[in-house]
Amino acid sequence: MLELVGVRHEYDGRVVLDLERFAVAPGAAVAVVGPNGSGKSTLLRLLALLERPTAGRVLLDGTVVTPGGTARRHVTLVEQRPILFRATVRENLEFGLQVRGIRRAEVNRRIENVAGRLAITPLLGRRRHELSDGEVQRVAVARALAVEPDVLLLDEPASSADRAAALTLYRTLAEERARRPLAVCLASHQLEDAYRWADDVRALADGRLSPVTPENLFRVDLTTAESGDLKRACVGTVEIAAMTDKIGPAILAVPPTDIFVSREPLASSARNTFQGRVTSLARRGPGGGGGGGVHVTADVGVELIAVVTEEAVRDLALAPGSPVVFSFKASAVRVF
Amino acid sequence: MDFLAEGFRRALALLFSGDAEVYGIALLTLKIGIVATVLACGLGLPLGFALATRPFWGRRAALTVVNTALAFPTVVLGLLLYSLLSRRGPLGAVGWLYTWQAIALGDVLLALPIAAALAAAAVQGVDPRIRRTAETLGAGRWRTAWTVAREARFALAAVITTAFGHVVAEIGSAMTVGGNIRGQTRTLTTAVALYTSQGDFGLALALGLILLLLALLVNVALQTLQGRGHA
Repeated sequence: MLELVGVRHEYDGRVVLDLERFAVAPGAAVAVVGPNGSGKSTLLRLLALLERPTAGRVLLDGTVVTPGGTARRHVTLVEQRPILFRATVRENLEFGLQVRGIRRAEVNRRIENVAGRLAITPLLGRRRHELSDGEVQRVAVARALAVEPDVLLLDEPASSADRAAALTLYRTLAEERARRPLAVCLASHQLEDAYRWADDVRALADGRLSPVTPENLFRVDLTTAESGDLKRACVGTVEIAAMTDKIGPAILAVPPTDIFVSREPLASSARNTFQGRVTSLARRGPGGGGGGGVHVTADVGVELIAVVTEEAVRDLALAPGSPVVFSFKASAVRVF
Repeated sequence: MDFLAEGFRRALALLFSGDAEVYGIALLTLKIGIVATVLACGLGLPLGFALATRPFWGRRAALTVVNTALAFPTVVLGLLLYSLLSRRGPLGAVGWLYTWQAIALGDVLLALPIAAALAAAAVQGVDPRIRRTAETLGAGRWRTAWTVAREARFALAAVITTAFGHVVAEIGSAMTVGGNIRGQTRTLTTAVALYTSQGDFGLALALGLILLLLALLVNVALQTLQGRGHA
């Protein structure tokens, strides 16, 4: 179990990560989603023991660990824009194995194995300037898998890959996890990738974990002009009403299960009612991390996702392009 | 023009006849250059690496000192070294004044800040992801440092050739602490200065051509390394 406990991290006095607890259990498939600048890469660097948190502790199997110790050999990070050493691809793959003093025969066996699975065998003799960005990313993942870490951290692993390469990558990760107890923590700004692949999806916004599911997160500024606890914040071209005493920069989260979906506006107490059109429907099973149900994405001036049952989709005849009304109470909006 | 042509003719004659004095001076210069470069780079490269990578109190001040030392006048360096090595100086007992060791010591002090400052710049030029990648793949402190140095190897090789170039071309300190003694401490630069002032233009030119040849070799090596570095 790799954990961050009471961790706060600052760059030049600015807090970039503030987490009460973040744990990656053995064998888990965790996805961390969030917009650029939300603290995902910092989180992974702390988990990888490449940086020491400004405050708080990093624990590996209950023991406090620090950068520079041998604990780092249990965790490997593949950065968003990975870099290869000035050497051949094969020499890059050998690096982590040589560091561990693994015998030549075993080194060769592992390299052939991982190169085959990630389809980089023809690249083994090439050098970094002879590779595309996507190939560099695959080699970097292969280099990390070759050392067989207990925890593999991947920062936007499919950002430079085409669809086929991304599928190969996710399939390889699944095979590796089936073969041995490997925990994977993946950072992505794409919810679809996260839900497709991970068992546990967590959202990060402005360095903090969202208390709700990762959909419908908006960075807003709650001004002091509002009176009382009912405040309105501009999101896209709409204003979302929320009950909060918070003032200043904040994150609004609208839980998808708290959104009422209808064809016509409803006479109700909901302070937020937005009309728009369905842009997509996605069905996710209970094991897919999305909690089941149908995820209805609609453009209502801003993109919102609601979760409804299959029966509701049928009764309302929801389909991409069909008109739809999303309603939710101001008190349903989470502010943090 | 006759004077110049005559100078060249005599220079070529001296070079191709294997004149013992000319080659003695050249070999001494080469010996001092190699010894001084090895010592200066042996100390300067690790120092530069530490300045570039190790956070410590006063690091910025240390970098400023090293960078300032780059512009230290060699004659003043020679003067200070003379005061240390002279019989009444604190290091007088060593007996190095007017020896090739004194010239080498001056050259080490001259090349050390060059090696340190340029090595620091070379290491700072290495992509920080290299260090993080080595660490996350399990490399310890020394293996990580070696990996970073390997990435900067062409730039570091250029540092060594630059230090060597400065050492063999130096005259101020060599003249002051070496004394330009024939057969003992006469280097290419001090000999060129002496023979020119004595009017032996051909000999001065012959030695100057050897010095130029050395500088040319250093530059060719440098360009070759830089060319490979971009590949």
